Amino acid sequence: MERSKQKQINQNENSAINGHFDGRVKIPGWSAGGAAGTPSTAPSSSVMESWREERTRSLEDNEMSLPSIAAAYTSILRGLGEDPQRQGLLKTPWRAATAMQFFTKGYQEKIIDVLNDAIFDEDHDEMVIVKDIDMFSMCEHHLVPIFGRVHIGYLPNKRVLGLSKLARIVEIYSRRLQVQERLTKQIAVAITEALQPAGVGVVIEATHMCMVMRGVQKMNSKTVTSTMLGVFREDPKTRDEFLTLIRS
Amino acid sequence: MEYQKAAELNGLCNGKILTVDSKKVAVQHKNEISRKEAEDESRLPALEAAYTTILRGLGENTDRQGLLKTPLRAAKAMQFLTKGYHETIYDVLNDAIFDEDHEELVIVKDIDMFSLCEHHLVPFFGKVHIGYLPSKKVVGLSKLARIVEIYSRRLQVQERLTKQIAMAISEALQPVSVAVVIEAAHMCMVMRGVQKMNSRTVTSAMLGVFREDPKAREEFLALTKGAQ
Repeated sequence: MERSKQKQINQNENSAINGHFDGRVKIPGWSAGGAAGTPSTAPSSSVMESWREERTRSLEDNEMSLPSIAAAYTSILRGLGEDPQRQGLLKTPWRAATAMQFFTKGYQEKIIDVLNDAIFDEDHDEMVIVKDIDMFSMCEHHLVPIFGRVHIGYLPNKRVLGLSKLARIVEIYSRRLQVQERLTKQIAVAITEALQPAGVGVVIEATHMCMVMRGVQKMNSKTVTSTMLGVFREDPKTRDEFLTLIRS
Repeated sequence: MEYQKAAELNGLCNGKILTVDSKKVAVQHKNEISRKEAEDESRLPALEAAYTTILRGLGENTDRQGLLKTPLRAAKAMQFLTKGYHETIYDVLNDAIFDEDHEELVIVKDIDMFSLCEHHLVPFFGKVHIGYLPSKKVVGLSKLARIVEIYSRRLQVQERLTKQIAMAISEALQPVSVAVVIEAAHMCMVMRGVQKMNSRTVTSAMLGVFREDPKAREEFLALTKGAQ
């Protein structure tokens, strides 16, 4: 299995990754030595990118854009040949717009807000796995749901993370317009940035409605992607242990 | 059985309101299709523009590589997911009704069904089980699945979908009775709102003998439960 060195996420193409908007990038207040008494391994610039893949869409933004999204849905209903005035469809544009904003609520949250307080110093250096985290995302190519499970494992380096925070990181990145490969990487990089563990492994197994409901229409197909960083990448035994434990 | 006015049901639109007999309402008016396939192409630009507005409203950058052609793809996907508006059952069924001296239960089960919730425009999917007691006329088996396709590929409510399938078979074949059971997962409940992952919604429509005779209904339900 050939793996290239961890790629530099291209700084110039700010617009290439979800989380950027018109080139504006919010740099959170976190700095390398932010949390209490952390060992200072300054993250390399390529890893720093993940913090830039955040955008805060505020609740006011949501409210302000709701009418235009609802109007767009009304024209979609007409374009499909439906009658937007019939009883069942009267409030559908608003419901659909709110639903779509909910499905992309990952743009409203920042990793920092979710993680800051739940990093603990613990003298534990064995693997920690949280598996079968239900994940729901939106395919950025067809705007159709993707759903599946995420399995996360990491080898702490004296710092552990509150377990639900792993699930919250999954939520932030999955509730966006996503590509499964990118989602896997974003989760892994976020955990690496937050904890500086010895290694992180993320495996996502998902069903893509764009393949099931339309197009090739293969009902039972699943897509599996994984990202292994640090010791998980270098040491095959660690990787094996992780993969065995998530299977069982 | 009470049916809603024609205008309340999906399938009649573009401002036209027809008054029809209550029983016939759930079945498409014979030659009425609410969307012609040829018109799809011409409606694409408007749908694309709408999707671009939605993407911008959500705060995304529509010029990034992954989203460049998304409005077009999403518009085509949405047209595919609502392609049931193109077809009437008469196009699909007309030739495949055969005279057969069979009066026992015929069941086609585990038909995968994918539809769109008309309230949130989010998918719901599941399985349809259809059973009917023929009255000297049987229908090609795949036609039952095609009827499901026609009615499910629309903006739907699960209750109405079940009834429309049952009524369509009833109209086309005049069988002794029809039973339709749908078991589906609604993404609008799973992905948002209450967020209950494992909940399933089951609806059924029983017409004729299945409604009146509990033993016939039991037989149907037992046969569709087995070996799922």
